[in-house]
Amino acid sequence: MLEAKDLHKAFGEKVALSGVSLKVAPGEIMGFVGANGAGKTTTMRIIMGLLTPDLGTSSWNGAPLNLQQRRRLGYMPEERGLYPKMKVAEQITYFARLRGLSASDAAAAVSRLVGQLSLEGKENTAVEALSLGNQQRVQLAVALVADPVALVLDEPFSGLDPIAVDSLVEVLQARAAEGVAVLFSSHQLELVERICDSVSIISAGQMVTSGPVTQLRAQAERKLKVVVRGAENGWAQGFDGDFTTDADVQTLITVTADDQAVLRSALQAGRVEQFGWLQPSLAEIFREVVA
Amino acid sequence: MKEFFLVAAREIKVRGRTKSFVISLVASALLVAALAFLPSFFDDGDSSFTVGVVGQELAAGPDVTYKKFDTSAAAEEALRAGEVDAMLLDGQTLVGDGSVDTDLEYLMRQAYQQAQLTSAGVTLDPLNVSTIAGKEAPDGARVALANLLVILLFMLIMFTAMYVAIGIVEEKSSRIVEILLASVKPWQLLGGKIVGLVVLGFVNLLVIAAAGLGASAAAGEIGSLPSGIGGIVANTFLWFLLGSAFFAALAAAFGSLVSRQEDLNGVLSPMTMTLIITYLLSFFVATKPESTVAQVFSMLPPFSAMAMPVRFAATDVPLWQILVSIVVMVVATIGVMMLGARIYQRAVLRTGARLKLAQLFK
Repeated sequence: MLEAKDLHKAFGEKVALSGVSLKVAPGEIMGFVGANGAGKTTTMRIIMGLLTPDLGTSSWNGAPLNLQQRRRLGYMPEERGLYPKMKVAEQITYFARLRGLSASDAAAAVSRLVGQLSLEGKENTAVEALSLGNQQRVQLAVALVADPVALVLDEPFSGLDPIAVDSLVEVLQARAAEGVAVLFSSHQLELVERICDSVSIISAGQMVTSGPVTQLRAQAERKLKVVVRGAENGWAQGFDGDFTTDADVQTLITVTADDQAVLRSALQAGRVEQFGWLQPSLAEIFREVVA
Repeated sequence: MKEFFLVAAREIKVRGRTKSFVISLVASALLVAALAFLPSFFDDGDSSFTVGVVGQELAAGPDVTYKKFDTSAAAEEALRAGEVDAMLLDGQTLVGDGSVDTDLEYLMRQAYQQAQLTSAGVTLDPLNVSTIAGKEAPDGARVALANLLVILLFMLIMFTAMYVAIGIVEEKSSRIVEILLASVKPWQLLGGKIVGLVVLGFVNLLVIAAAGLGASAAAGEIGSLPSGIGGIVANTFLWFLLGSAFFAALAAAFGSLVSRQEDLNGVLSPMTMTLIITYLLSFFVATKPESTVAQVFSMLPPFSAMAMPVRFAATDVPLWQILVSIVVMVVATIGVMMLGARIYQRAVLRTGARLKLAQLFK
């Protein structure tokens, strides 16, 4: 279990984090969302030991993280970079050795990752000569090389084309299936919704909500949608909500406790073509909790 | 400690493979080798002269051989043909083709004056020349070597420091440093980088020394090298290590304040200015190694980094001054390293606009 507990951090006068906590279980993929400047990168840097929190701890399985244990965490910083002039295999090997792998273990890990990430034939190419997609794979290889127990990825999907997104998703899901805890930040809420088991939403340095996606949905305000054909205007005046008319079709989206009353009115007014609860999207939940 | 060596090894491997390093290595070795051949190239090795003579000869010593001619016209012809270096008419007039070699002119003038004195019945006692223990005049070969060292040390220290700064900004701007610092401590990263690049500079200096000494031997000039050349070379290596470590630590501290290579020159200017002042001072030291200024600056870090090896090459330095200088420089280098590491640690993750030192320590 990767855990951050009650993190506080200020840069001079500016408070970046005030009491951020999160937990990622082995095998869980957690999306970390928040507006720009909300504190995602600061939180991840503290977990990775790049920043020292003013208060709070980060731990793995209850033991505070130190440099030795952080070598078992795979990390991708937000604006990614590699040594441009270093060759692919040499580069991955270097980071493997820095994480404590022996020369022979590092070589084995490199050849395994080169295969897994389809980098065959590129081992001796300088990174700067690779396409962006392939550079991204090398970056991922660097994060994965020491068989991490957890992955901390800052905006791993930004700037990727849909195919590269899919292949990264595949790799993350495969790692999670092997029991790796995955924490990644993203602005692509549809993507987070699609692949994450749980979501943490941060706003202005504070964790607003955190939990499984289904649970967040259940907590969110539910909206009822009714579509009626051939009704007279004004049938829905008794209910709060958005009311739209398109020719003789009227749509009401409302927040109500009494769905049956809405249905009765609609039936009296005209022909009910649609009636049901809307599933709030993550984007809607995000706007609601951050607002 | 393992990480430290991994970082150093990467620097050596990657930087040592770059074109710029290989070119500067080969170019500097060739240059020094060429300099070693230079004396034998200019010196034609022949200090004897042939003089065409018409009439009376002058006793000009063993270096002057006379060739008799009956008429001045015949002698002039021989002079034009280059068969003789000059012609002497009646023991009174020396004629050269275009010019007269200064050494020859000196010899002939001496002989001419001696002949006049002898004919006037004057005999001169030679001047007695002897020395008491004291300061010797600067040895020309040593001063020349000292001047060469100034340039070499300046170039190598400057390259080493610049490479350190460029490497730091490269890692900072590409955020590799974040991945690195998740696995290694800042001092390991900084120290490994400095050590790796200083080792490369040291290798460059070794190659230069080998090329210079090798070429001197090949040119048969090894005997004309100053005595104690071994000590001079060893001393230079020691001071290169101290000096490049000092300036590399400064370069690291300043370099970590910026995030883009374009900003590097501006932020490094205090470091480069210090190095250039050291460079200019060392030229002065090479020419006046015994002056008070030379004595003071060869013991004052960081100027001593170049002033001491240069002075050591140019003259004999008292042992106590050498020891004081080394101790003070070692202390200063350790101090700058510790300060540089603190600045680096605070600055290296803060990308964006150029940082001010005051921002880091509030």
